[in-house]
Amino acid sequence: MASEIAEQYLKVIYSLTEHGGLAKTSEIAKAMGVTPASVTEMVRKLSDKGYVRYERYKGVSLNPKGLKIARQVTRKHRLLERFLNDFCGIRGKSRHVQACKMEHVLTDEAERQLCRMMNRPSECPHGKLIPKCERGIACEKCTKESVRLLDMGEGEVATVSHLSSGSKEELCRILAMGFVPGSEVRVEKKVPMGGPIIVSLKGTKIALAREIGGILHMVRA
Amino acid sequence: MEIALAGNPNVGKSVVFSKLTGVGVISSNYPGTTVEFFEGKAKFMGSTITVIDLPGTYSLAGSTEDERVATNLLFDRRPDTVVAVLDSTRLERNLVFLFELIESGYNVVAALNLYDLMRKARLQVDVERLERILMIPVIPTVATKGEGVDTLLFSSVQLRRKSKFEVRYDSHIEDMIGELQPMLRADDWPLPLRAVALRLLMDDPMVVDAASPEALEAAERLRKEFEKQHGEDIVVHIQRDRFGEAGRIAREVLVEKTPGGKEGSWLSDLTLRPVTGIPILVAVLAGVFLVLVFVGGAIEGLLVGAYTDVARAPFDELKEGVSGSVAIGVLDGLYLSVEAMLALVIPYIVVFYIMLAVLEDTGYLVRVVSLLDGVMHRLGLHGRAVIPMVVGYGCNVPAILATRAMGSKRERLILATLITIAVPCSAQTAIIIGTVGNYSGVWWALSIYLILGGMLVILGFAMHRTIKFEPTGLFIEIPDLRVPSLSQIGGKTYIRVKEFLTIAFPLLLAGSIVLEILLAEGLLQKLIEPSEGFLMVVLGLPGVTVVALVFGMLRKEMALQMLMVLFGTSNLADHLSPEQMFTFALVMAIFMPCLAAFAVLLKEFGPKNTALVTIASVSLALAMGAAAHAILSL
Repeated sequence: MASEIAEQYLKVIYSLTEHGGLAKTSEIAKAMGVTPASVTEMVRKLSDKGYVRYERYKGVSLNPKGLKIARQVTRKHRLLERFLNDFCGIRGKSRHVQACKMEHVLTDEAERQLCRMMNRPSECPHGKLIPKCERGIACEKCTKESVRLLDMGEGEVATVSHLSSGSKEELCRILAMGFVPGSEVRVEKKVPMGGPIIVSLKGTKIALAREIGGILHMVRA
Repeated sequence: MEIALAGNPNVGKSVVFSKLTGVGVISSNYPGTTVEFFEGKAKFMGSTITVIDLPGTYSLAGSTEDERVATNLLFDRRPDTVVAVLDSTRLERNLVFLFELIESGYNVVAALNLYDLMRKARLQVDVERLERILMIPVIPTVATKGEGVDTLLFSSVQLRRKSKFEVRYDSHIEDMIGELQPMLRADDWPLPLRAVALRLLMDDPMVVDAASPEALEAAERLRKEFEKQHGEDIVVHIQRDRFGEAGRIAREVLVEKTPGGKEGSWLSDLTLRPVTGIPILVAVLAGVFLVLVFVGGAIEGLLVGAYTDVARAPFDELKEGVSGSVAIGVLDGLYLSVEAMLALVIPYIVVFYIMLAVLEDTGYLVRVVSLLDGVMHRLGLHGRAVIPMVVGYGCNVPAILATRAMGSKRERLILATLITIAVPCSAQTAIIIGTVGNYSGVWWALSIYLILGGMLVILGFAMHRTIKFEPTGLFIEIPDLRVPSLSQIGGKTYIRVKEFLTIAFPLLLAGSIVLEILLAEGLLQKLIEPSEGFLMVVLGLPGVTVVALVFGMLRKEMALQMLMVLFGTSNLADHLSPEQMFTFALVMAIFMPCLAAFAVLLKEFGPKNTALVTIASVSLALAMGAAAHAILSL
């Protein structure tokens, strides 16, 4: 995990390069309010960790690994600015400064809820684009309050909204059993001591491990 | 001509198979035992038809081992007809599987099996309508009673044809299929091009390897595009459309005679609820154990008695007729092995297998698996591991065979090691009870079990830590509790006993002949002598007990008799102190159970792993024995 200061740098580099090109160390220094020498030192560190690519006299660009973090931090930052602006009525420099601090402690879950609550804003108050989240599901599905099957209580009924699995085989296995979006599932029993979840799906009882219960996202009826 | 039977697990496919071919096959409720497939011959109007029983799968996508076996078999053999055995009470999901078969271009005939359960629930399927929609023959069957099986055979031979039925996918997917199809050449594929296009879009390794780079690239691009637009894997949409179609058809053809209330499933509920499930489980296990020890023991007494009466005299005569210690050794070995098999196989193994088959076929074992999955996960195992472990308390040999139901090779090895070392079989139990239990009291005997239980947990933990892997998550259907069919249980038991006999008997025979010859030539004593001193010092046991230990390799409970023979008295207390007895019983309990178990390990896991397990069990046995001796003689 990147440190707070590293996240800060990655965010600045992202905003300097989001329309293409490289970020010059002098530009970074100006945005961060530090000397170019300390920027060079930090950029070296980031480059060693594989977050950025540094070309001497040209500038800095983000590697995929760094880009991922930068996008997420920028997303949080701009969402928070939007929130401070629209909901709290905070204007001026203070808005940016507060968002800069909050972005590092905001969890991904809170970020998701914030995005839903504000009805998926696309721009920050400065008119910059808010990067899309990388959850891989359509925004329309995200707006519905979904809950993981794992987090449902005994006796609850819900329909499958979407599945989030990195493994194709696992996905196929679960789908073939009938857990397709729209099918109704009832949690019968959660066997204690880390045991499986027993659900009924169209009159069939199925026992599934808790990990699989984390893949299935449900919408309560 | 060839027919293949395909279908979901637990639909009675194996029963249909055995009714068609008249040969018993394994049908079980926990997925895993039918990974191998079965073949049989059916007679129809004077000609012989090959029937293949595919492993039960939920789809043909090839995402599990079973699915790959099933899909590959269909690909390779190209059967003339595929009989889709469907569970008529779960029509929707079973129809989805049927769609896949039709889509792949096979001549499909559908059997609506378990139709008696439909009648019981006062439901009915409009068969003609279903036939018209799917454009294939559909036959309601009750395989357990043989109902409809003849019609099924007739239809698969005479009425087979390709169906023109197609699942309509959403317009985006249909467009993509339309774009891909012209890039494929019909001659290249044993499947209809629509199926190939779909499989390409799903990134199915079966077709990806054989596709032209051009088509592959297009499919890749389309799949990415789809994922970007919909934010979901295309498989999700394909399956959703199939289930949607299946749901529509099911609603159309299901006729409810009277609004029937759902059958009371209170018993099923009790077995799944931990509060009641665990006591039920303990009771069932205790029952199995008691039946094994008492009924098995009684049958053994009868059989061995009868065998001695009948065979002793002829054998002695034979022995008089030959000369030379080798020949006598061979004869003695033969006599002993047959006795061992009689004492082991029929009383313990057959009885155990019958009980196991009943537990499986009623659907009870799956419930046990679900109940204990969480606990077993901490030992790095699946809930399924419970079954082989329980089996192991009867006999380790079938237990090691039963580890096949485990997901991975590593899980199997861990489990087999645990069983060999820390699960005492009924013969080992006989020793514990015969020595410590008889002379020192119940508490001493119980403490041996406690030590073994502790070893089980510690070993499990240790191996879980050292052999790194993630057990695959449990994902199984829990079938309704059913009354098992006698013929199924009979067939299953027969196949398992046969398997056991072919593995164990030759080894037992060879082993006892070698041992007898060594004994007759006086070589055994010479081999044992050097180790006597070691045994005295380390374990504090009299030297002669080595003979009993070695004999224990053949048959564990023989070790006890051997000890009595060696001491010349049936009162062991004259020669062994309670401490010595404790040490002896402990060593015997941890020691490799017998030659047959060794043989099975060898067959299932190869020489290297077997050597490791053997060394581990022998050295652990000696170490624990030495520790017990050291502590007790303080």
